[in-house]
Amino acid sequence: MNGTIEAPTIEYALLAPMLVVFGAAIVGVLVEAFAPRYLRSAIHLPLTLLSLAGAFALAVWQALKGVPTKPAAMGAVAVDGPALFIWGTILVLAFVSVLLIKDEEHFVGSAAALPGSAEEEQSLVERAAHTEVYPLLLFAVGGMLLFPAANDLLVAFVALEVMSLPLYLLCGLARRRRLLSQEAAVKYFLLGAFSSAFFLYGTALLYGYAGSVDLAKINLALGSVGGQDTLLYIGAAMLGVGLLFKIGAAPFQAWKPDVYQGSPTPITALMASGTLVAAFGALLRVFWVGLGGLDWDWRPVFYGVAILTMVVGAILAITQTDIKRMLAYSSIAHGGFLLVGVIATGSAAQNTAALSGLLFYLVAYGFTTVGAFAVVTMVRDAGGEAWHLSRWAGLGKRSPLLAGTFAFFLLAFAGIPLTSGFFGKYAVFQAAVSGGALPLVIVGVVASAVAAFFYVRVIVLMFFSDPAADGPSVVLPSRGTAAVVGIAALATVVLGVFPQPLLDLAHSAAQSLFVR
Amino acid sequence: MTTHYLVLSALLFAIGGVGVLVRRNAIVVFMCVELMLNACNLAFVTFARQNGNLDGQLIAFFVMIVAAAEVVIGLAIIVTIFRTRRSASVDDASLLKY
Amino acid sequence: MEPAEIIQHSGGAIGAAWLMIALPLVGAAILLLGGRRTDRFGHLLGVLMAVASFAVAALSFVQLLGLAPGERRRGIELYDFVPGLAKVGLLVDPLSISFCLLITGVGSLIHIYSIGYMAHDPNRRRFFAYLNLFVAAMLLLVLADNYVALFVGWEGVGLASYLLIGFWQHKPSAATAAKKAFIVNRVGDFGLLIGLFTIFATFHTLAFNDVFANASKASSGTLTAIGLLLLVGACGKSAQLPLQSWLLDAMEGPTPVSALIHAATMVTAGVYLIVRSGPIYQGAETAQLVVTIVGVATLLAGAIIGTAKDDIKKALAGSTMSQIGYMVLAAGIGPAGYAFAIAHLITHGFFKADMFLGAGSVMHAMNDEVDMRKYGALRKVMPVTFATFAIGYLAIIGFPLLSGYFTKDGIIETVMEHNAVLGWLAVLGAGITGFYMSRLVFMTFFGAKRWEPTAHPHESPAVMTWPLVILSVGAIGLGAFLVLGNRFMTFLAPAVGAPEEMPSFHPFSLTGLATLALVAVGAVFAWFRYGAAEVPAVAPRGSFLTTFARRDLYGDALNEALFMRPGQWLTRLAVFFDNRGVDGLVNGLAAGIGGTSGRLRRIQTGFVRSYALSIFLGAAILAGAWLVVGNL
Repeated sequence: MNGTIEAPTIEYALLAPMLVVFGAAIVGVLVEAFAPRYLRSAIHLPLTLLSLAGAFALAVWQALKGVPTKPAAMGAVAVDGPALFIWGTILVLAFVSVLLIKDEEHFVGSAAALPGSAEEEQSLVERAAHTEVYPLLLFAVGGMLLFPAANDLLVAFVALEVMSLPLYLLCGLARRRRLLSQEAAVKYFLLGAFSSAFFLYGTALLYGYAGSVDLAKINLALGSVGGQDTLLYIGAAMLGVGLLFKIGAAPFQAWKPDVYQGSPTPITALMASGTLVAAFGALLRVFWVGLGGLDWDWRPVFYGVAILTMVVGAILAITQTDIKRMLAYSSIAHGGFLLVGVIATGSAAQNTAALSGLLFYLVAYGFTTVGAFAVVTMVRDAGGEAWHLSRWAGLGKRSPLLAGTFAFFLLAFAGIPLTSGFFGKYAVFQAAVSGGALPLVIVGVVASAVAAFFYVRVIVLMFFSDPAADGPSVVLPSRGTAAVVGIAALATVVLGVFPQPLLDLAHSAAQSLFVR
Repeated sequence: MTTHYLVLSALLFAIGGVGVLVRRNAIVVFMCVELMLNACNLAFVTFARQNGNLDGQLIAFFVMIVAAAEVVIGLAIIVTIFRTRRSASVDDASLLKY
Repeated sequence: MEPAEIIQHSGGAIGAAWLMIALPLVGAAILLLGGRRTDRFGHLLGVLMAVASFAVAALSFVQLLGLAPGERRRGIELYDFVPGLAKVGLLVDPLSISFCLLITGVGSLIHIYSIGYMAHDPNRRRFFAYLNLFVAAMLLLVLADNYVALFVGWEGVGLASYLLIGFWQHKPSAATAAKKAFIVNRVGDFGLLIGLFTIFATFHTLAFNDVFANASKASSGTLTAIGLLLLVGACGKSAQLPLQSWLLDAMEGPTPVSALIHAATMVTAGVYLIVRSGPIYQGAETAQLVVTIVGVATLLAGAIIGTAKDDIKKALAGSTMSQIGYMVLAAGIGPAGYAFAIAHLITHGFFKADMFLGAGSVMHAMNDEVDMRKYGALRKVMPVTFATFAIGYLAIIGFPLLSGYFTKDGIIETVMEHNAVLGWLAVLGAGITGFYMSRLVFMTFFGAKRWEPTAHPHESPAVMTWPLVILSVGAIGLGAFLVLGNRFMTFLAPAVGAPEEMPSFHPFSLTGLATLALVAVGAVFAWFRYGAAEVPAVAPRGSFLTTFARRDLYGDALNEALFMRPGQWLTRLAVFFDNRGVDGLVNGLAAGIGGTSGRLRRIQTGFVRSYALSIFLGAAILAGAWLVVGNL
């Protein structure tokens, strides 16, 4: 501390994918400020899609050029193999989710207007639209990119907030069922803020323990600092709370069904895919890199969390009567299956196997879940999307193609062979078995069997029940929605039938593990 | 010496946490969350002192800014739901359940 | 001569052999998913897919002929589902390509015929979708290079057969017949499945190549067990004793289905399975012996049933059973019999399809009347049908120089060299064939008119008669082409092996002459009973033997007494225990999970503060757990 502060060096090229997304988000804000109302949508959509595609191209280019072996930006951000893979995944999933967004159908015209009030009437007449949805979404995606790449806990915290804050807002913007949507936003916001306070407190304690928030330095300190273990353990637990909350692991899962149900369905799709991927990336980095030397201590804890999550997700899903809530519980259960892979650490080869299995699972699950929510957007009745399962009875007789696709997604969730879901589970469970977590895998398989029950129940309902007389109609999908369903179905088939290329890719991404 | 500050920070954090659990008014709940963040800040500054580096103090500024952003978002959401329901009680927002 | 090595292949028509399966599958998918929109062109699409598949098969065949005989077993790697997990490929060799040509060739003709036959059916599109599905599944069955894919195809043809037998669901008899076929086939499939498990347990693989290469290393007891289990599967699919009962009822399906599935192709899958699994049977003499006994018993049983049926299709179905019995008999002998088994299978495919379609043409003309006692004298009104049917008839009874003469006599002579008792029984079967087939022809086309007053028979349209003509050309010449000069045996040898010394065909050996004489006696006897004499409109009561034959040799009664009744008791017993024990457990478990779920979801109160509490407590538990674990 000699009075001069050296300017940090920042590898702009490495961070380019993120910067493109953030840049586009800021341009989007400027568009909101200066472009006339009728032009905004026409500017936003291409801007959003192009920036996501561009960021994806930059990430691919980076991966082809060679994966850096050192963290970037003075050790704050690590752009390594897993990070690039996760970036690519998030960008593709975000791109697909954006295709689902048709603001005039899913998003409220004027969020501030009271439901049923004159202002709302007027906003309908004026065909007002919250085109802020696009820049908000880009900010959230930027946060998702930064979160799993954050190599120190402060950056992780900032990324967590950058990712979450826009999502809180987006949750409250559903066009129909305003009360539910607002409630979802409030719940998500309060609980999210609550849990990130835990994350921050954990950061503070670890800072106190190690003298730094840099993950590598924390890991170094694990061996050398003595006598402050309580600080370390409680700090690690608090960090875990913040991360497990985002994943929706039990006992921090309570927000997930409510928020997934109340949010506009395209946003639910983005949360269920992108946020989950980002949160798992961050969890892996924090616990494998920062607390890697402590794995004998956190593995038993996660063991319990994983079991609880799988069981709660699978069992609670059985009695759900709302399709979105059911998918939310399914997402919780899948979070549990993924946690099984997080625990399967060991030798370097074992870590690589577990990590590549997880990466594959995330991609497979992300696509399938976006596709499933896209189908949900298409089944509507007078009050908007038909969420209640009884409304889905006999859908297979009315629109066999749509119901068939949805059934296929459900089978993929259940992990039937020749769908992507099978191989994701197979890879993760196999890694867990060779990592010595056999009991966990047994619980996982039983939970999968229970979960398969309610997936099949929906299929039976769709195909073997008589349709209700005033049942919902299936709207003709917009080009975007059709594309999303098509892409998701294609990905689910291709990854289920030819998993090898993606598995190789995940393996090579996981080869170097995380840089320190 | 610094231990007192840490105890105070822990107490503030706990008070904030319990406040979230027991208070009904969304604004107060939210203020309790802010209290938790500030407890973190206190801990950061204390640890910075203890560890003899400035990182903790820098982090405190970051946290303030994030907290400010959170206030913006949070108040927007809470005000909207207050206008709709004429109530800021978090217990009234319980349509989504089971 | 041992079978040749399998060579990995790519390129050309053989490399694209998967198209054979894919094309009809796509056709079926389009027709089923497209719904009513495809009604207008559905039948044409179905025909197109079948013909295209035939074209690929023919091109592959030509390419195969261009290769040296020792290099004619081509493996095509199709799909490698994660190395080490599962691998699927196709095997194009002389055996599978023969089947492909038969399935797609005869299949295409039957598709074309069905355009006319099903013209007035509102569900014609669905019919073609099922036909296409059947062709795809059958091709998968014969092209698979491992038992798993074979089993998938095996179940696929079973499904298509079920759907097609019950195609006219509005007829209760059709629905029952479909169910019966399904259930009886399940018995066979179960045997096959256990056989596959045994193979996997023994060889740790289900790929043909690896299984057969190691077959000689397994103990003969194991091979016998596998062979017998595979035979159970073959009996189910090929309607061999004791699993024959479904085939006669299966005639409830539309006649083109009977021709394609229940005469020409699917029912021969059992023969294919036995021939394909040759290396296993060659290590298990007992299993081979059982195969030959089943074959002989079935060929006699089928022939006897055929003598007593008044329903034209059921008489033909009995004949099908009987002819497949010949094939199974030959297949049980080993490499010496394989070529004749397959050759007879192919010629049978032609002349039996020809006769079934001819029967369909007759029914079409007679307002779907199937009772032959109400036919008679149709040769004048339906000349083309009569001519083609007559050719099929002459072929099946083994009239000299027609197809059946070469292939069936080939089988009889080979069997005679192998075992004289079996040989003479086969000759006897040929004599009975001469009788019942002549009876069928005389009752239908000769004698006096015994038509219903409403019947106005007429010749069928060209779209139905042309396939008949083409099939009857095959029925005339194919046998001589295949058998003379051992052409087919030489062709097939790389795939299934062949005896060291090729047999030479004696047209007028002692056995051949005896067969001919017996057939002639049968035919003449039939002429006096049914051609020259008056045929009573109602079947006379007849002797005990007649009743015996009419009741399908009491097959159903036997099934009922032996399996159904005890089965019912067993079921009742099982249901009793199931309700008390197993079900209680399962239901209890399900109810328990459901109840837990119902109670647990009450925790999700909807109050944000209670969620916060769960987070708070969770954090406390997590921290506590950490402290405990860390301080251990």
